[in-house]
Amino acid sequence: MAASAGPRPGWSRRAQYGLFFSFLAVLAGLAVGLILLILSLVAPQSYSAVRGAALDATAPVSGALREVTTTVTGLVGGAGNYWDAANQNAQLKRDRAALMRRMVEARGILEENQQLRAALQLREHSREAVAAGRVVGSSFESPRRFAIISVGSSEGVQVGMPVRAAEGLIGRVIDAGSIASRVLLVTDRANIVPARILRGGQPVISTGRGDGTIDVRPLEVGKNPFKPGDVIITSGTGGLYPPLVPIGKVIRLDDDGAIALPIADPSRVSFAIVEPPFEPTALAAADESASEGP
Amino acid sequence: MVRSALGPQGARLNKGPRVGADYIPAASVVAGSLLALLPIVSRTGWWPDFGLLMLLGWRLLRADAWPAWWAAPLGFVNDVIVGNPIGLSVAMWAAIMIALDILDRRTMWRDYWIEWAIATVVIALSEIAHWRVAGLMGAEVPFNISAGPAILVGVLTFPIAAFIATRLDRWRLGR
Repeated sequence: MAASAGPRPGWSRRAQYGLFFSFLAVLAGLAVGLILLILSLVAPQSYSAVRGAALDATAPVSGALREVTTTVTGLVGGAGNYWDAANQNAQLKRDRAALMRRMVEARGILEENQQLRAALQLREHSREAVAAGRVVGSSFESPRRFAIISVGSSEGVQVGMPVRAAEGLIGRVIDAGSIASRVLLVTDRANIVPARILRGGQPVISTGRGDGTIDVRPLEVGKNPFKPGDVIITSGTGGLYPPLVPIGKVIRLDDDGAIALPIADPSRVSFAIVEPPFEPTALAAADESASEGP
Repeated sequence: MVRSALGPQGARLNKGPRVGADYIPAASVVAGSLLALLPIVSRTGWWPDFGLLMLLGWRLLRADAWPAWWAAPLGFVNDVIVGNPIGLSVAMWAAIMIALDILDRRTMWRDYWIEWAIATVVIALSEIAHWRVAGLMGAEVPFNISAGPAILVGVLTFPIAAFIATRLDRWRLGR
């Protein structure tokens, strides 16, 4: 088929002008788009109202669809559990016995810990959750890793608050609408979490890799401190994330760090809990120094 | 009229464009953007950009699906719904309309493979733009785990979008 040579208005002067003004309009659209883009690169917070309103308008749709899919997958998964029930039962009994032994050990450690803390007069912050919601969607079309949760500023959620699940850390709030918020996941490249290894307590830095895994590196240069199976927990340094929240589990070592899988998988967690920043005063001070710096 | 009345199953009588036929293409692009609201929680961002695919499907099918400047507001809707940095799709979709207008004047021959090749180039450029903007915003992800697979998935999904655009076009014009 020969190509049509674009829209041909013929001899009508009115149609020719219409085509020309349409061309000018699309050039204007390009210019406006570039200006908007530059603004969102240099001042990402300038659109917070628009983005919050868009979240409020769209998140209920995702939430309703999410309910449907959880019901369906629950039915399928529930049927699957009956399939191999006898073996599963035996396995669970063995696990339970093992966990009982571990629990007794843990209780002993807990009591010892309480005594030591009392001796040290350690001041503990009471941690109260701001809100709890469901993870209803994610940015599956973009190289960034975001999730949408079903709580917003009407429940007290603010930009910058850490988000966790019962299993472990999920990320932090970056856009807050009034009934939904967008969360920067720990697997996003731009999310850097101060952390440490549970075994030994060596400080490390955790960064997302953008593909559902986390890159962990030690702060000090030296021998690679990781072993496959190591659990990475937050250290509380920096004042944003609370300490002792599990982040990931090391699956593979590379030259001077390791790659970990997040423990709280946003597609499986039942509830996302939004918490206030761990040390708001430290965070405010850090913000001021960051804005004064280059 | 007489001839069509004598034809088999006189289905062509009283058939014209549907009500609002001029707005169906743009509405289908917005519907493509709305697919981003599906409750999929993915570990990777390899899903295609459905709004862009519908835009390309329509634009390659016909040059007069909508006035060219509509691409900018459609891009704004896409940015807001998908959660891209605002302005990314506005600029990119307007640029795509201009580029394809120029291309329409230059190409001597069009067939399905050439259109797929054009779509491949546009999808690749778009995913690379997304990848670079993410890098500028502090998320430097390696190409082969983000934009690479996304380009592949987008290119392989394009024929579906082109098919949907063709069927919608026939339906809206009452053919």
